[in-house]
Amino acid sequence: MLKVDNITKYYGDFLAVDHLSFEVKSGEIFGLLGVNGAGKTTTFRMIVGLLKPSSGTVTLDGHSIDYSITDKIGFLTEERSLLTKMTVKEQCVYYGILKGMKEKEVSRELDRLLTKFKIQNYKDKKIKELSKGNQQKIQFITAIINNPKLLILDEPFSGLDPFNVEMFKNEIKELAEKGSIIIFSTHRMEHVELFCKKLVVLKNGQTVLSGNLKDIKQKYRKKNIEVVGDIDENKIKQIDGVISVNLNNLTYQIKIADESVANKVFEVVSNGKNITKFSVEEPSLNEIFIETVGETYDK
Amino acid sequence: MISKLKYLTKISLKRKINTKWFVIANAIFAVIIIGLLNMDSIISFFGGDFDQTQIVYVQDNTNRTYDILTIQNDTYKNLTDEDNAFKLKKTEKSSEEIFKDKKNKDAWYLSIDNDSENYIKATLTSEGYINTSSYAGISTIINDTKTVIAMEDSNISPEELSKISSPIDLERKILDEDKKTEDENVQMIMSTVFPILILPFFALTMFLVQMVGAEINDEKTTRGMEIIISNVPPKIHLFSKVIASNLFVFLEAALLVIYAIIGFVIRMLIGANIQTGDFDISSILDMILKSDVASNLTYIIPLTIILMILTFIAYAILAGILASMTTNTEDFQQMQMPIVIISLIGYYLAMMAGLFDGSIFIKVLSFVPFISAILAPSLLILGQIGIFEIVIAIVLLIITIWLLIKFGMRIYKVGILNYSSKDLWKKMFKALKG
Repeated sequence: MLKVDNITKYYGDFLAVDHLSFEVKSGEIFGLLGVNGAGKTTTFRMIVGLLKPSSGTVTLDGHSIDYSITDKIGFLTEERSLLTKMTVKEQCVYYGILKGMKEKEVSRELDRLLTKFKIQNYKDKKIKELSKGNQQKIQFITAIINNPKLLILDEPFSGLDPFNVEMFKNEIKELAEKGSIIIFSTHRMEHVELFCKKLVVLKNGQTVLSGNLKDIKQKYRKKNIEVVGDIDENKIKQIDGVISVNLNNLTYQIKIADESVANKVFEVVSNGKNITKFSVEEPSLNEIFIETVGETYDK
Repeated sequence: MISKLKYLTKISLKRKINTKWFVIANAIFAVIIIGLLNMDSIISFFGGDFDQTQIVYVQDNTNRTYDILTIQNDTYKNLTDEDNAFKLKKTEKSSEEIFKDKKNKDAWYLSIDNDSENYIKATLTSEGYINTSSYAGISTIINDTKTVIAMEDSNISPEELSKISSPIDLERKILDEDKKTEDENVQMIMSTVFPILILPFFALTMFLVQMVGAEINDEKTTRGMEIIISNVPPKIHLFSKVIASNLFVFLEAALLVIYAIIGFVIRMLIGANIQTGDFDISSILDMILKSDVASNLTYIIPLTIILMILTFIAYAILAGILASMTTNTEDFQQMQMPIVIISLIGYYLAMMAGLFDGSIFIKVLSFVPFISAILAPSLLILGQIGIFEIVIAIVLLIITIWLLIKFGMRIYKVGILNYSSKDLWKKMFKALKG
């Protein structure tokens, strides 16, 4: 289990991460979210042992993160961390051996992964000759080549087409099923919803949202109602607690302040005609994120 | 962790050797070194003329000077060991007639006439310029000829003339105890041999600094550093660069020595024994072996090697620390300038060491790490400092390396993961405080 216990990091007087805590068990995929500069990279660096927290501790299965256990960690950085003058094989062997593997072991695993990601022909090509997407695949392979106990993925889907995104998703799920602890950060909220049971949202180094995704959504008071049919839009807008009403593809999206407003909306909708759908939906993570952080993720 | 250090060192060394530029650079070095050592043979092969006898046509209008001139020419040949110095040919032709013949385009024409005040006067004519040493040679012969004529006219017997002409046996006595072992050849060695030896050291230092810096910079700018440092401590990472760059420098130095040996072997095989103008390799080697420096090489060479190895290590650590602070290659190019300047100062001071005989300032500078490796051995050869002073320089260098590791490592740890040049020096001073 990975335990991040009350870690704080100062750069001089600047507070980068403020009393952050969370736990991730084996087989779990954890989301670490926040806008740029929120403290995600600093947190990742503290987890992999690149930075020492100003206070607090990070432990993996009860051990502090130090060079005696970094061989069990895989790290995919947001920016390319490949030595572009090396060939694919040289690069993977290089990082593999630094993770304590034997060269033969790396070669065997590399062949398997290159075949799996359908880039076996690029084994002897120089990294700089590969496309952005293929470079990302190599970077991903170098992160998982040691079958890590803890895998940190910072924007793993960057530069990938939808086909390769699916391939990565499957591999991430497979690793989690095998028992890896996976922490990942992405700009794509649908990926977080798909993968993560637990997450933390950081803003200026502070935790603004934390816990199970399901609980977070349930606790979030604002809900969405979807209605298909002919309704009196103006009457609904006049209901106290209705935030907005939008019509998209013949479906009305009604945003309400809390679940109790749903009954009042239902009463008005009941007077409508040809009603084929009325459902109260949980808000999307993207909505919760924007509401919580106060700005769009891409900013 | 030791196995990771070995692996990182191996990879770092491989990345330096498995390059086209390494092969090309060494091919060029081999050609230059072997070529320089056999320059005389190469020039001869292409029809060079430095080994040919200089023909001097002599028009003797005094009817007695030519014979004396010939004797003086022979004496000059014996004194200077220059077998091919001048070949005199008596002629009645005018200079115009001589130079009309294309075969004589490189010949000289010497016209000698009686002179009421100076016994004889001479005019030397040539198609082109005459080099300084040849001009000095012919002037000496003519002056000696004039002396003989003057003595003959003064009725001095040949025995007396011989005594007058023979060189004085000048006995040397040196009162300074430290310099008793020094001979005059040392100055010659310092001006010819030492620059040849310290130039490769200077070049290798620059190689080393450039390599350590470029590699760290490459790993940093590609962000590969984050993956590397998350698996090996920064100290191990820096040490691998220091060891690899030093191994590379030793390998390159060994290759340079091998090229020199090949050059000498080729020289022996082709039996070259020709003087190349004023630069004669065989005589320089003889000079070294006959000088007192040769007997002191038993301690000069080991001490110099120790100083050089320690200096290479210090330079590599310093280059690594500076490279860690940079965020791109351009920054590193600027950052390495102080290293280049320090090294250049050492190089020039070593070249000019002989000029500052007895200067305490130069002696103090020979202790200064980074420049001591070339300055201290040159002062040791010149007899200006002793073994004790060299040991001080070595101790100071070891202390410098220790300080660089202790305090520089703090900068390195922070620097390699810093990607912003904003408040760089503030960050580094803060890191230095720990």
